[in-house]
Amino acid sequence: MNIRHHIGDDTLMAYVNGTLEDALSVVVATHLAICPKCRRSVSLMEDMAGLLLMETEAAALSATEEAMADMIPNRAHPEPHAQDRSSRTQDYSNTGVPMPLAERMPTSLDDIPWRTLGPGVSHYPLPRASAQKVKGTLRLLKIAPGKVMPEHGHSGRELTLVLRGSYIDDFGRFQAGDIADLDSDILHQPVADTAEDCICLIATDAPLKFSGFFSRLLQPVFGF
Amino acid sequence: MTSPDGIRQDRTGTRALPEELDKDLTAVGLDQDPSAFRRLFANLAPRLKYFMIKGGMIESAAEDVMQDTMLKVWRKAALFDSSKASASTWVYTIARNVKIDRLRKEHRPEPDPEDPCFVPDDPETGEQAVSRKQDRERIQKAMAMLPPEQMTIIKLSFFEEKSHGEIAEMLDIPLGTVKSRIRLAFRKIRTELEGLK
Repeated sequence: MNIRHHIGDDTLMAYVNGTLEDALSVVVATHLAICPKCRRSVSLMEDMAGLLLMETEAAALSATEEAMADMIPNRAHPEPHAQDRSSRTQDYSNTGVPMPLAERMPTSLDDIPWRTLGPGVSHYPLPRASAQKVKGTLRLLKIAPGKVMPEHGHSGRELTLVLRGSYIDDFGRFQAGDIADLDSDILHQPVADTAEDCICLIATDAPLKFSGFFSRLLQPVFGF
Repeated sequence: MTSPDGIRQDRTGTRALPEELDKDLTAVGLDQDPSAFRRLFANLAPRLKYFMIKGGMIESAAEDVMQDTMLKVWRKAALFDSSKASASTWVYTIARNVKIDRLRKEHRPEPDPEDPCFVPDDPETGEQAVSRKQDRERIQKAMAMLPPEQMTIIKLSFFEEKSHGEIAEMLDIPLGTVKSRIRLAFRKIRTELEGLK
């Protein structure tokens, strides 16, 4: 896979320090699974955080806390080596998408019950990880070949990961594995540009804003 | 002792060399060596606690996160691989995940190398396979080159785990400025790292 569009450092850092919204984190983790370059950036950021941790002052510990140094080795059992990663209960290998996304999908990418939004455009909102009301949206979007999406901007951050096919907008051509990391002040108008449907995973931390008059008619469908 | 930010400090706190931490963590992983764990604890526990209080936690919550983290360090040490990460980096990621799990109900999504869709790293060339020690020193040097306004944001992000929005509010600068300073900081760090090879 030849990835040309990567995650912005500001987004990546929010992922690393755990402040990135869940929906956006799913897209970031899905891209990381297929992008060694962005994983190297994550390692660099974690190394920096580790260095900062060791440079900090030392807080005073209570006697109970001090006692943990002996208590833990005496009482707690180490986990057997294999337990950590392979403790997964479900097999996602047939979904055809990396695990961070597969965990949120009800079925494989081929069997998604698409909901039509308009001619040539359908979507499927993915369920949220937790029942609690959280900001942002996570959805799959399918654009038919040649279909021009309404020009839109964002009131927050939008991450788009191409899963299949490709599209072109003002920023270039985005193919499978590429991620578009867009900020609020940016307007774009993607066009699916191959004979194949373009399937994307899109997360926002706030609703989309459409700019044109006709596009705004679509707002109720897109921007919830 | 109390630090300027009101956190009670331990002046006798030890500060081991990074290589010693790597060695001790490896010893815990291989042999469940209790004295190696005690040394790790003496180095890490007081800093983890400071880190969490600095990040806005009340003292009792910071204690919980510290204890939970140290317990996981003991239990998962066999997974530590000193050729892949420093002990400090590895412990940081554990502490961060403990903290996230406390704040949110769900786990943070993460890539899994066992995933059939996972694209592994390119095999390292001899040139790339620098030792952890060199890596650490290079990163430290590169960080030292950052202008103060960029370093402040890096510290607030990693050290206090503030979101971009919180940082913008704290420093009274636009959100876009926070993001562009982060991007500039990393561009600079990467350039420095290239130059330090």
